[in-house]
Amino acid sequence: MSPLGPDDDPDRLYTVTGGRSRAAGSRFDLVTLIVAECEPAPGMQSEHVRILELARRPTAVVELSAALRLPVSVVRILLTDLLDTGRITARHPRTAARAELPEPDLLKEVLDALQRL
Amino acid sequence: MTAQTPARPQRARPPVVAALYAFLVALVVTGGAVLWAVLAGPAALRTGLAWGCGTVAVVLSALLAVTVYAVRTSARHRARIAELAAAADRLADETLPAVVARLRDGASVDTALGHTPMPADEAHRRIVETLATEVGRGERMRAAAMSACASAAGRVQALATSMLADLREMEHRHGEEVLGDLLKLDHTTAQAGRLADSIAVLTGARSGRRWNKPIAMESILRGAMGRISAYRRVRLHSSSTAAVAGHAAEGVMHALAEIMDNATSFSPPTSPVHVYVEEAQAGVVVSVEDSGLVMTETALRSAEAAVSAKTLDLMSLSGTRLGLAVVGCLAGKHGLTVSFRPSARGGTSVVVLIPQQLITQPPPKPAGGRTEVPEVPVAGLRAAHDAQAREVHERDAHDTGVRERHPRGSDVPDRPAARETRPASGAGAARETTGHRPTVPDRDTGAARDGGASRGPDDPHGGSAPQDRGVPDVPAPRGAAPAPATEYGPSGLPKRRRGQTLAGAPIPQVPQATGRTRGRSHEESAARLRSFRRAVQGEAPPARPTAPENAPKDDPR
Repeated sequence: MSPLGPDDDPDRLYTVTGGRSRAAGSRFDLVTLIVAECEPAPGMQSEHVRILELARRPTAVVELSAALRLPVSVVRILLTDLLDTGRITARHPRTAARAELPEPDLLKEVLDALQRL
Repeated sequence: MTAQTPARPQRARPPVVAALYAFLVALVVTGGAVLWAVLAGPAALRTGLAWGCGTVAVVLSALLAVTVYAVRTSARHRARIAELAAAADRLADETLPAVVARLRDGASVDTALGHTPMPADEAHRRIVETLATEVGRGERMRAAAMSACASAAGRVQALATSMLADLREMEHRHGEEVLGDLLKLDHTTAQAGRLADSIAVLTGARSGRRWNKPIAMESILRGAMGRISAYRRVRLHSSSTAAVAGHAAEGVMHALAEIMDNATSFSPPTSPVHVYVEEAQAGVVVSVEDSGLVMTETALRSAEAAVSAKTLDLMSLSGTRLGLAVVGCLAGKHGLTVSFRPSARGGTSVVVLIPQQLITQPPPKPAGGRTEVPEVPVAGLRAAHDAQAREVHERDAHDTGVRERHPRGSDVPDRPAARETRPASGAGAARETTGHRPTVPDRDTGAARDGGASRGPDDPHGGSAPQDRGVPDVPAPRGAAPAPATEYGPSGLPKRRRGQTLAGAPIPQVPQATGRTRGRSHEESAARLRSFRRAVQGEAPPARPTAPENAPKDDPR
């Protein structure tokens, strides 16, 4: 199933979200890491399938949004559905990352990487 | 007797002549008889007898003559009446239908009259001419009204399409606060677009837009339900992977939308409408079941007649109930079979058979199923924009040549190297283990369709090869396209694969070329974030294609 793009497909976003425009109690920010907890089942909405495929390894919400070519807010709604049915788990990466930051080597590498960007 | 002669000189003559003959013959015969009687009678009575018998003879002769005349005249009249009746029959059965048929086919009044044998009778001729003039005028008015409607509908369609594109773009650009409102506008616009499409279909114009690639069944169904007001009540049950050929996709969607609209408007406002998809030998069967009123046998039959009518009867349109007529037109155009039957749910079930020739099966996904996935985002940005631009232009460019080039995203195969430069992609990572970066097989998968766009991700590194900026559109020869891989050494320069000739090596420059000018999109942010994460995670020399697949495993988080 090809991904959605700006007017690239006949699906309108409200049909993707079932008419919702807001995730109830959003628990995701842009860098929340999503991990799939199960394999896609036949008959699932294609976006859910793609999320589960993409999230076999931890993937940030913003990456999912880019991969699906859907607005982040729509992806959040889809993720909320999946989270509510226990098909994914969400992790916030910040704490672990912060613990590592002080190491000078790492900071140097970050600097190198940033310069290369 | 003779008094009638001048009234109808030519026509009356034969009866009159016959009557005269009869009179004379009778006179001679009776005169002879009278003469004989007078001579035979006694002399005393002769005078009286002669007068009496003579009078009787004359009267008898006159009577005979009158009788002959009457008989002859009535025979003539009967013949004349039969002749007129035949002429009237010819007028009604041959001349007028022929004239009307010619007029309906678009001939002008003069042409139609000139090509049809005209009746000899003057009055009949006037009838034909009057009728031809009136019908011709009516036809011209109808044609003018139809074309006015069609062009108005076409403009509304164009507006709706561009509005939908704008809305989609806004939905991507703006945040959650306005998304709800945008979606509402989107929905309303989609419905307005459907109405315009309906009018276009009924007036014989072409349908709204054409898709230049097969549309997956799920998208077809969602596209259809997105155009009706009560789309939330539609429940899709589809695991079909089939896709509908691009040229028919819009028509199929529109027909399904009309059917779903009927189903939702003729069932209780709270009850769901179920849509099932089943792949059959003859094609794909879509059934739309509601739980509303059960249609009577007569209603079912008339509905089927409405959707299977060969030609559209505009008089059967009632203004508010265009749906079935539209479905009928679309079904006739694309060869869909639509049938109605009572549903097991207590309502009506509409079964649409999309014939096999409109169905394409997507190429099988690689077993991994996900390998190509991460490359999409990059591709997405460019390809989506390209596709959008194309779509707009295409509305005017009917030239098939133009369309033919699109289906796969024309630039994809030309820039095979581009995607390879993308170090951060998870797909690349996944493949890294095999030591190959198989662009070829992916190209045919839906997700990789847009692979050409993979330049995007490299944007973060764009500064490294500024001299390549200008080259993005130089296509590699098609033959070279399948060259599977460009590998990069630690220095970031492309490596030639063993056994590969220099000429066969893909041209690696394209990646940096594009996207810079645009504002930073989600895709770019994602790519940057990804690169950043990877850099932070300590693949110290972040050689371009380095193996980020280790990242998740080693991910300390």
